[in-house]
Amino acid sequence: MREPTYFVLASLLDGPLHGYAIIQRTEQLSGGRIKLATGTLYTALDRLTAEGHVELVREEIVNGRARRSYGLTPPGAGALRAEAKRMAEAARLVTDHGRRLKAGSSARKASPA
Amino acid sequence: MTPLERRCRRLLRAYPAWYRRERSGEMLDTLLEASPPGRRWPSFRDTRALVLGSLRVRGRTWLLSMMWVAAGAVITGYIFYATTPNHISADVIGTGFIGFSAGPAAVQITAVLALVAWLALPLPVLIAGFIRLRGWRPANWLPAAAWAGAWIAGAALLLLARAWGNSAGNAVSWGELAICVAWLVLGAVMTWILAGPPRRSYAPDPTSGASHEASRWPAGVGFLRFDGHSPSGVLPRAEGCS
Repeated sequence: MREPTYFVLASLLDGPLHGYAIIQRTEQLSGGRIKLATGTLYTALDRLTAEGHVELVREEIVNGRARRSYGLTPPGAGALRAEAKRMAEAARLVTDHGRRLKAGSSARKASPA
Repeated sequence: MTPLERRCRRLLRAYPAWYRRERSGEMLDTLLEASPPGRRWPSFRDTRALVLGSLRVRGRTWLLSMMWVAAGAVITGYIFYATTPNHISADVIGTGFIGFSAGPAAVQITAVLALVAWLALPLPVLIAGFIRLRGWRPANWLPAAAWAGAWIAGAALLLLARAWGNSAGNAVSWGELAICVAWLVLGAVMTWILAGPPRRSYAPDPTSGASHEASRWPAGVGFLRFDGHSPSGVLPRAEGCS
């Protein structure tokens, strides 16, 4: 799962959002790193709906134009959670490495005594 | 309508009609909402993303076909350029092949590259078209025939340009202009033949378990829809929406 996709799915965790709200929420969640352009967002939404990860939940007319809100489907939430778990495990490799080193060096110091 | 809205609408025309019918309203809404107030032009980032998005929606077969048409148009232009009196050379008249010795080096290289692309592109396009047609099914004979016809027309157009370039040796004639316009028409016809959604974009993910049988598309996206199925599943279904 690519990073923008991950953040798009994560932006829908709190409930369905419409196009611009997804752009805002992904930017906020990623600390300003991911600024989706409209074309990029809809390419991602096309793919995610085709995969069944996201679905249309509401359609309303605002300023005479259709505004659609998208929500996470159960398979989408599952895929997001699986990705989060994978990344957490990958991160642990590095974060625990420091701790292991510290534990190892203190053990080495302790052993000759 | 503000200037920004007008320009965004024009930009959205990069997408094929079947897609715009479904999406352009909400995309316009998002584009306008995402633009800071007082802007008159869509940003470069948005423009680039929309053009790339539209290429993705139109699919590989269309992109390769358009590259072939563009290469043909470049070669045609070169033939007419090379056969004007000040450039006319023995290899152009004598050999029956296009001479690539007229004009500055950059022009010659462009022309040779265009010829190589023109000759090489049919194979990948054939493969992409085969995938798009899901293996020439009988139901697809009409779009397949129209598509093949467009390719033959393109080859004929280049032969015509070749013959015309040799016989009409003056600067720029109406006939030459007509052949150049014919390439534009050919591009438009191919775009029309390939107007339907490509297969890949609506292939449902077998692992998702979601059902995609309901069609959201009007029955006739041109009578030359390039597949035997009603596309479905690209975009969310309308059921349950107000």
